[in-house]
Amino acid sequence: MSDLMIKRLIYSAAITSSLGFGANTVSAEELRFTVWTGSEAHLKMLGEIADSFTATHPDVTVRFDTIPFGDYVQKITLQMAGGNAPDLGWLLENSAPAFVDAGALADVSGTLKSADGYDYADFSQPAMGLWETSDATYGIPFSTSPFLVYYNKSLYDAAGLETPDQRIKDGSWTWEQLKSDAKALRDASSGVWGFETFDGQGYGSRVWHTLIPIIRAYGGSAWEGDSCKLDSPLSVQAVQLFHDMVYADGSTVPPGEQGDFFSGKAALTVTQISRVSKLADATFDWGIAPLPSGPAGDAATVGQAAVVAFAQGKHKELAAEFLAHMTNKENVAKMAAFFPPARKSVLNGDGFLTSNTAVAPEKMAFVAEGIESGSVLPSHQRFPQIEAEARPNFDALWSKNADVAATMKKLCSGISPLL
Amino acid sequence: MSAVRKGPSLSLKAREAITGWLFVSPILTGFLIFFVGPLIAVFYYSTTEWNLLSQQSRFVGMANYVDALTRNETFWDVLVNSLVFAAGLVPLNMAMALGLALALSKSRPGAVFFRTVFFAPVITSAVAWAIIWTFLLQHESGAVNQGLSIFGIDGPNWLHEPDWAMVSVIFTRVLKTVGLNMILYIAALQSIPRDYDEAARIEGASNWEIFRRITWPLLAPTTLVIMVITVVGSLKVFDHIYLMTGGGPQNGTMVLAFYIYEQGFKFFNTGYAAALAVVLFALILLLTIVQMLLKAARK
Repeated sequence: MSDLMIKRLIYSAAITSSLGFGANTVSAEELRFTVWTGSEAHLKMLGEIADSFTATHPDVTVRFDTIPFGDYVQKITLQMAGGNAPDLGWLLENSAPAFVDAGALADVSGTLKSADGYDYADFSQPAMGLWETSDATYGIPFSTSPFLVYYNKSLYDAAGLETPDQRIKDGSWTWEQLKSDAKALRDASSGVWGFETFDGQGYGSRVWHTLIPIIRAYGGSAWEGDSCKLDSPLSVQAVQLFHDMVYADGSTVPPGEQGDFFSGKAALTVTQISRVSKLADATFDWGIAPLPSGPAGDAATVGQAAVVAFAQGKHKELAAEFLAHMTNKENVAKMAAFFPPARKSVLNGDGFLTSNTAVAPEKMAFVAEGIESGSVLPSHQRFPQIEAEARPNFDALWSKNADVAATMKKLCSGISPLL
Repeated sequence: MSAVRKGPSLSLKAREAITGWLFVSPILTGFLIFFVGPLIAVFYYSTTEWNLLSQQSRFVGMANYVDALTRNETFWDVLVNSLVFAAGLVPLNMAMALGLALALSKSRPGAVFFRTVFFAPVITSAVAWAIIWTFLLQHESGAVNQGLSIFGIDGPNWLHEPDWAMVSVIFTRVLKTVGLNMILYIAALQSIPRDYDEAARIEGASNWEIFRRITWPLLAPTTLVIMVITVVGSLKVFDHIYLMTGGGPQNGTMVLAFYIYEQGFKFFNTGYAAALAVVLFALILLLTIVQMLLKAARK
């Protein structure tokens, strides 16, 4: 065979394969789904949901892409700007207004409402507030998760204190009581703190998670319409309580210190039900209680995250189909073990209370009650700017001699123009 | 036997030029696409109001610059923080580097070991370095304050008190980067002929006189290079601030590079961030030119 002949054969093989003739013509599609969890248990469960979708869509695979929580929004935004938007992803409540306003999310209402047996009306209307307009749906909350108090029962028992569970029964489970318990349980000699803030990040990225539940229990709020309420006497009273826990009592892990509840180094913390997976190997007895009440009564606070399809995703229709699959009754019930659902039928069904084997049904009832009565963390179209403006003032709170009222007033004057 | 084909003849010079360009073309292509292109693009983006999230963009001329320089008070605070960081880091870094180089340039027992010790942080991951220092600088349980408590000193909350946070990030950054400058100084010191030193000693010069009259002037070119790269590096600092303080407390360590990141990737004001990046570029260029001119004036 001459050289020329060989070359022609190579060229024609290359051309035919590039045109798709003779090559594998199966058009496999991959949906990329961004999440911020790295938990093996969470990813295993998500993988099972993806597998059940693949069973009806054999050519489709779903890849879950974990991005660290702190960088999540920035990274997906950069991916979108770089023309490599994920098809689907999780999105937190405080990012929702900005993403909806920017047109970054796909309207999936058509697919959801036409999906067989989907029952769109089953979703709790208050829970859908951030994610739908009169004629469009931009996401489905997969986690409407109330904040809960986790406590180290072994430490409570050793100190001979009444546990939060016992106090709930007689109505004495208040923020003042939590403050007092934290002070009593602080043991500097063994490095045990009384209280740890949300994921230990309560002075930085999660400062709102730390303060909003207390502020609401005292009758205050972050803002109402375009009016900042963080400097109201009720809000200031609440912030002062927390400040006293950190500095006057010295019971709370302060900024710049570590005190992990899940390794037994703090007696109390506030977090969500999904963190229960971190207690699988706990060497101590633990319990879960609802948030304490304040002078204004109970004020359950809910953190919310939704599954969204991105407007710039390459497989928009398929992504909407997967979103419908992931948030159907069966899969919402499956996810309910970690992520409290916004589907009323699942929430009110017996299955929810027994969905998490690590949590007793009466404890899961706290979660259900929190969803029913709780309000979502504050969000705003300009939340990143508000957060940046508020940050130096929140920082100013964290010193022993801080003037809480004056600092909150300054904070409000800073964020008011942004509201 | 096939006939030899003759193409259009090129001169040897032209053929060499083509070969040369072909050899450099891979790196040149990368340089143009990934360096020169974005550099030009930043100037263009700085004249637009471009929201990264919505991908909406419109031409606004010099409005971003006007806003940053005349209306944005935070920008000036951030600029002052950047200059404070540089003013703290550069002299400390250079003085330490020179001191270490003078101590470790000669062959003496342990010199190689200590050179390795001081150079190791340079090749250590910046992330690991910053995270370890955040632990060491914890208020009560940090090793630094526990060490101080042995002497009865109640150390501050280093990274969470506005007065100490900048000091802490400067000091830990110096420890991270001083090794490189030390090596540059050692190389320069070892290239100074010993004859000068010996001649000066025969003439009765003291160690200080030898350093001041001979060593220091001969180190001047190296000092200029070190100063330029340290100043540029200090103004560009980002990772260290991001990991150790996040710009806090109370924006006390918010430097220009971090502020650019926040504007671009947290608030999605990409056009505005590009304008700030151009300001940072201009600042670094200006400082570098000033250093060059000072050097030239001294000659």
